[in-house]
Amino acid sequence: MDVTFALLQQMSVYLVVAYLFSKTPIFDQLFTVAPRQRHRLVVYVVFSAFCILGTYLSLEVHGAIANNRAIGAVMGGLLGGPAVGLAVGITGGLHRYTLGGFTDLACAVSTTVDGLIGGLVHIYYLRHRRPQAIFSPWVPFLATLGAECLQMLIILAVARPFDDAVALVRVIAAPMILCNAVGAALFMAIIRDRRNMFEKFGNIFSNKALRIAESAVGLAVHQFDRDTAETIARIVFEETGVGAVSITDRERILAYVGRGSDHHRPDTPISSDLTRLAIAENRVVFADGFETPFACSIDDHCPLGSALVVPLRGDGEVLGCIKLYEPKGKLFLNINRRMGEGIARLLATNILAGRFEQQKTLLLQAELKLVQAQVNPHFLFNTLNTIGAVTRIDPDRARQLLMHLSNFFRKNLKRASDVSTLREELDHVRSYLEIEQARYGDRLQVAIRVDDRLLDLRLPTFTLQPLVENAVKHGISTMLSGGRIGIFGWLDHGEPILLVEDNAGCYCPGEGGSGLGLSIVDKRLQAQLGGMAGIEVACRAGAWTRVSIRIPRPAVAA
Amino acid sequence: MIRALVVDDEPYAREELAGLLARRPDVQVIDACANAIEALAGINRLRPDVVFLDIQMPRITGLELVGMLDPGTMPHIVFVTAYDEYAVRAFESSALDYLLKPVAAERIDKTIARLKQRHAPAPPPGELIPPLKQIPCFIANRIKLIPVAEVEYAYSDMSGVHVATAGDSSYTDMTLAALEAKTDLVRCHRQWLVRLDLAREIHLLDTGGAEIAMRSGTTVPVSRRYLRALKERLGVQ
Repeated sequence: MDVTFALLQQMSVYLVVAYLFSKTPIFDQLFTVAPRQRHRLVVYVVFSAFCILGTYLSLEVHGAIANNRAIGAVMGGLLGGPAVGLAVGITGGLHRYTLGGFTDLACAVSTTVDGLIGGLVHIYYLRHRRPQAIFSPWVPFLATLGAECLQMLIILAVARPFDDAVALVRVIAAPMILCNAVGAALFMAIIRDRRNMFEKFGNIFSNKALRIAESAVGLAVHQFDRDTAETIARIVFEETGVGAVSITDRERILAYVGRGSDHHRPDTPISSDLTRLAIAENRVVFADGFETPFACSIDDHCPLGSALVVPLRGDGEVLGCIKLYEPKGKLFLNINRRMGEGIARLLATNILAGRFEQQKTLLLQAELKLVQAQVNPHFLFNTLNTIGAVTRIDPDRARQLLMHLSNFFRKNLKRASDVSTLREELDHVRSYLEIEQARYGDRLQVAIRVDDRLLDLRLPTFTLQPLVENAVKHGISTMLSGGRIGIFGWLDHGEPILLVEDNAGCYCPGEGGSGLGLSIVDKRLQAQLGGMAGIEVACRAGAWTRVSIRIPRPAVAA
Repeated sequence: MIRALVVDDEPYAREELAGLLARRPDVQVIDACANAIEALAGINRLRPDVVFLDIQMPRITGLELVGMLDPGTMPHIVFVTAYDEYAVRAFESSALDYLLKPVAAERIDKTIARLKQRHAPAPPPGELIPPLKQIPCFIANRIKLIPVAEVEYAYSDMSGVHVATAGDSSYTDMTLAALEAKTDLVRCHRQWLVRLDLAREIHLLDTGGAEIAMRSGTTVPVSRRYLRALKERLGVQ
């Protein structure tokens, strides 16, 4: 019992040293199973030192030494893998060998074996993809227990004279097995507690960071564009202290802040497979550079060594992603992983909120325009004047025109937020064009050719009408004669295309005409049918203006 | 008999107005024009007493047309518009009347009554008429609006009035008098107007007249009658 107590005392001193050491920044390197050469070196140096310390904090018993050396070797193996464990064991063993005594060789060999056992356990848990389990104190306890038992056998096998060895083992076996196992467990507990504290502290920190990000993000995300992305990336970069932060949409890098910004340029297409994977599969992708390899897809000399890619999910689709990087040689902390995911959620929510806000304003604008359309006095009074004249000449035609006029106004009264089929839109447009043709006479020819399969296509109400009205107002009405308007619809590789064409060619950029009406239609298409929808304007001055509507495939009604 | 010209770019609107005017035995609709360019030619050719003029028309609006008319032969103008967005009342100083479409027959009668009371010639266009910026011209049957600042000189001959720019010469329905009044071209001959900024030198001739050599290389004649005024304008004796 005396030996046990004495050895426990020695172990206490040992653990006090370990505890003090845990306050140094080097200790932080031990929070993970050493993934890199540099980490392994740190583990080797640290635990070799503890190994030697264990030799000195010892008791002379029967010309041999009862000690806590095994703790360092096993721990070195557990955290650094078999190579590191072996190296620590050999170092500790060689040191022990130089001190002499009849067990010198046996101790040197067994310490080496201790390190190897630690390393083998390390491999076991890595193979089973449970590296975090190594941090449970039970693992070093049992590993050291086993290693010490083995050491006793080695002493018996190697140390001579055999009788002395038996006597020694009888005295030191129980205390050494117990003390080393408990010591290793306590050492690991120090590491684990320190790590937990660090993470807890980190969580508090990241909560604060999230709050800051939230305030900044809430202000900024009206539109998910480069400027906003840049602002957010910078905030995240500064708050997390990671090596670099990048924000992308589905195709391109919107912003990149931090190390490696010399070759990671905003406004370039996404080149990383990890990012494409995260976007395609809508899941978080983490490459710690060890379990999951990470290599910069652009530059071999890139300082970045690990990356977290979090998709920005919203409305059932991936809007883009946010990426956090750490440079090689720096650990990707769990707190930053969680923070990255938190920020992504927040960002996605904000983008959606921004879209919703945008949609609301657009609807408001559209409704305002609608109000104007309802009382477009020029159109109304000219039409009434025309119908008045036609009544005199051709009462039947006049009645028809009145029907068209009331149909036109009835359709105009629809709410701007409604969805219409192309059939309804065309009906609206036909009434409008019938009236305009009566007004303009032979100055306006109309051709409408739309594939029947498109008639049930769903569009925001007032998509087609403003384009046709534009063509009349800014096109045909400026022509002295020979005006033509064409409305065409067809399927291009299964994708519906609508085209409104006039032969005035007045809508070229910088040449009169208000773009407001068209841009409202464009934004409403995008807001209702997604970013792939929208309109495109092409023009040849004095020859033609063509406004085409793109509609992504899923919008076609069954 | 009042001779009236109707100008509107919508056929039924023309027909309607002409129909309303034709009811009256004292009004004769002498022509109906579909745009301002036709109207400019029609007014100069037919010299109507009154023009019923739509405002919103392609290329040249009714207001701009008033600014192109020869001040010496100004007809009375009655603006006819679908919507009072131009605050047509403001033009009452230069226009005889304004009518809103659809026009009631009684309202036309009122206009005619007002016209009959008015014995003085039509006043020159008010200051709210936009200044002339472009001259409507024909080049090989195509209508072209030539910016005033590009005009080098203008002249009239048997076939009409021609406006010359650095590269081209085109026919216009505006009169020389109207061009002289509405642009910064200077009269140098009974049949010639010239832009003095673009003149290189003036050669005095033995006959008492002169010739202006333009920078483009062409020569513009100066008659004796206008030489003195021209010299004064240039500050030479």
